[in-house]
Amino acid sequence: MILLESHSVIIHDVLTDRFEKPSRADIQFVDYDNVRFHLSTPQSKAQVLLSMGIQCWPDLVKFGAREHLQQQYAGLLLGEAETEPEYNVSLLIDLEKLPATPEEQTELINQISLLKATAMSAPFLSAFAEQATLQANYKEPAGAQQMDLQPSEHKGELKVVRYREEEAIYIQASHDHVTIIFSTVFKEETDRVYGRVFLQEFVDARQLQSLQSAPQVTYSNREPPLEIRHIPGLKTGEDWGYVTFILFPRHFANPTKALSTINRIQLFRDYLHYHIKCSKAYMHSRMRYRVAEFLKILNRAKPEVAHAERKTASGRTFRTR
Amino acid sequence: MSRQPPLVIDNGTGYTKMGFAGNSEPSFVFPTVIATHQSASSGSASAASSGGRAPPPVAGKPSHLASKRGIEDLDFFIGDEAVANSKTYSLHYPIRHGQIENWDHMERFWEQSIFKYLRAEPEDHYVLLTEPPLNPPENRENTAEIMFESFNVQGLYIAVQAVLALAASWTSSKVAERTLTGVVIDSGDGVTHTIPVAEGYVIGSSIKHIPIAGRDITYFVQQLLRDRGETAAIPPEDQLRVAEKIKEDYTYVCQDIVKEFKKYDADPYKYFARFSGEHSVTGRVSGVPSSSTDLTPSHLLFAHRRAQNKFERFLANRIISVPQKYDLDVGYERFLAPEIFFNPEIYSSDFLTPLPEVVDTVIQTSPIDVRRGLYKNIVLSGGSTMFKDFGKRLQRDVKAIVDGRIAGSEERSGSLMKSSGVEVNVISHKRQRYAVWYGGSLMASTPEFYNVSHSRVDYEEYGPSLVRRFSVFGSAV
Repeated sequence: MILLESHSVIIHDVLTDRFEKPSRADIQFVDYDNVRFHLSTPQSKAQVLLSMGIQCWPDLVKFGAREHLQQQYAGLLLGEAETEPEYNVSLLIDLEKLPATPEEQTELINQISLLKATAMSAPFLSAFAEQATLQANYKEPAGAQQMDLQPSEHKGELKVVRYREEEAIYIQASHDHVTIIFSTVFKEETDRVYGRVFLQEFVDARQLQSLQSAPQVTYSNREPPLEIRHIPGLKTGEDWGYVTFILFPRHFANPTKALSTINRIQLFRDYLHYHIKCSKAYMHSRMRYRVAEFLKILNRAKPEVAHAERKTASGRTFRTR
Repeated sequence: MSRQPPLVIDNGTGYTKMGFAGNSEPSFVFPTVIATHQSASSGSASAASSGGRAPPPVAGKPSHLASKRGIEDLDFFIGDEAVANSKTYSLHYPIRHGQIENWDHMERFWEQSIFKYLRAEPEDHYVLLTEPPLNPPENRENTAEIMFESFNVQGLYIAVQAVLALAASWTSSKVAERTLTGVVIDSGDGVTHTIPVAEGYVIGSSIKHIPIAGRDITYFVQQLLRDRGETAAIPPEDQLRVAEKIKEDYTYVCQDIVKEFKKYDADPYKYFARFSGEHSVTGRVSGVPSSSTDLTPSHLLFAHRRAQNKFERFLANRIISVPQKYDLDVGYERFLAPEIFFNPEIYSSDFLTPLPEVVDTVIQTSPIDVRRGLYKNIVLSGGSTMFKDFGKRLQRDVKAIVDGRIAGSEERSGSLMKSSGVEVNVISHKRQRYAVWYGGSLMASTPEFYNVSHSRVDYEEYGPSLVRRFSVFGSAV
């Protein structure tokens, strides 16, 4: 497993099970980035209520997350008043009003299990839309070569999604690209070292011939990139790093492509941490292997036990077996 | 921000149960198996993204790591996916006899179970893991090392499976007081353990293992079916699966085996059940269903008792049932299958001690001051204790042994001393199948869990030897 999947396996499994045979449920589970889920059947077996609590909901709402969800989950999404307390979004799935064909049901399950990804995609989508308008309004200034125009004039609003306690995603649209900046922090010394190497390799890998069409990536340690440097309260220090992705219109040319780009990019942090952990596991397996090899050498180096014939006082010998 | 629920992971020899604390059922139950590429060199050639270049290039020549080595350490599957990919990958079982044998595989197993299935960032969570009784402290240390250093978990608690099973029994209505003293009968797929626990501590010297468990029952059912000639209808690759299904769906524990036989012979139509399956490989169910129902009377001939009939039926099955859905009779195995716990001689010739006797021995070898508590609280856990009336039968048999002993000693005292009797209680409850996991979920959802767990700060202070300290909790719950 190299890439993480964007759908929640638990939602998928439970719903597949319940679609076949409705039964009671009261399950609480989580997803990455402090997302909490609660799947329950409060009224009857046929009414499945799926609620999601997401830390950066206030940020997401600003960028039209509720409207986006409304559009994606028409007929399922409950209004704000009916949303389960302590959660931000609730979907009500009525098992008696399911689509008829199995294909459509599978489609519905897949869609619901992408709930978190869909909610998180709102700011990205709004940035893509913004980019399109900016591009439309952008006029190639006459004699741009001489006149060194200020690029900031053609930039959209800087969207900040504080998706974890300390980390955030910064998204900014521009007339010809969208900039996405992740701030990352490593709590652990070892992780930081791995992380830095990993991110550096990430940037270098981009230079491979076969990856030329991938989004441009830059990584800066300690210093925040210029785009967000004006934001007050940015953390700087050894533990902090900033990863910048620059998406060009070709990366979100059509809705399917845009969706897959968004799904990949919002899992970036989890991907990074997963791979750091995998690298550590790999190192550990090498260490264990090395230790086993050394032990073999040590065992070989044991001095041989001298086999002197031992006798009892009466002159009998022991038989050694 | 409220605290994230702890992860509860119960890695068993056969199956891994995983989920979040506070739920009543594990979110994932799948085989503890990992599928990796057999040889690293062949793996890297196909896995390397750069194409068909030779795997070990000279160090320093390319400037990126991706081409220096393959990514074969990421190319593996766990659980059901591993089993599904067993044709192209090789399967490994990292846990043997309840204990972790291969740490490399286990670390990667955890990696994927946390990230892919639970989708949790381990840095945000506490983790509750389970260990078998008599797990060496070195294993605990290794586990802690992996959890804290690879996964950076916030905190870790390693609980003994038997203790968790006791905690799970608190859901039963029969349990009056919440005690951590009792005998746990844990029967899974491979082996059955009887573990006495006093005040949350396992009495290691009295643990007994019984080499009869779920898999043996399945084999026994299969053997009974084969003896009767029922298996002729089942395609060979499905026989074990069918036997397992019959074991799970039709069997029960009888109170008296002779009476049960008589009952079946007197009215076979009432007691014999029908099982119908379909071919797993071809999936063919094309046969006209009515034709198989027409056949039912002929199927219900007791071929197992008449040799000629057996042969006829064999032929009939060959001709009619093979390309279609097949049906077979489920007969005496309905009550004989779980009977091997109580009369092991019908199945095995090496192990002949019945389960009630083992339970009694276990309690009798425990310290005298806890025996009463142990008799009072015999707790069942694991899938192979799920048979209907299993607890009832066990309670009756243990009670009979205990009463016999008391009567004997009363008699030896010349009928001068009278015993007040010993209470024997076998507790079965709804959460029995995943009792260990459920107990873990219960414990980890209490606020006390965070106090007894080993936290990250402590680990950094003391190192892996921290987990040698065993803290029981539940005493105040």
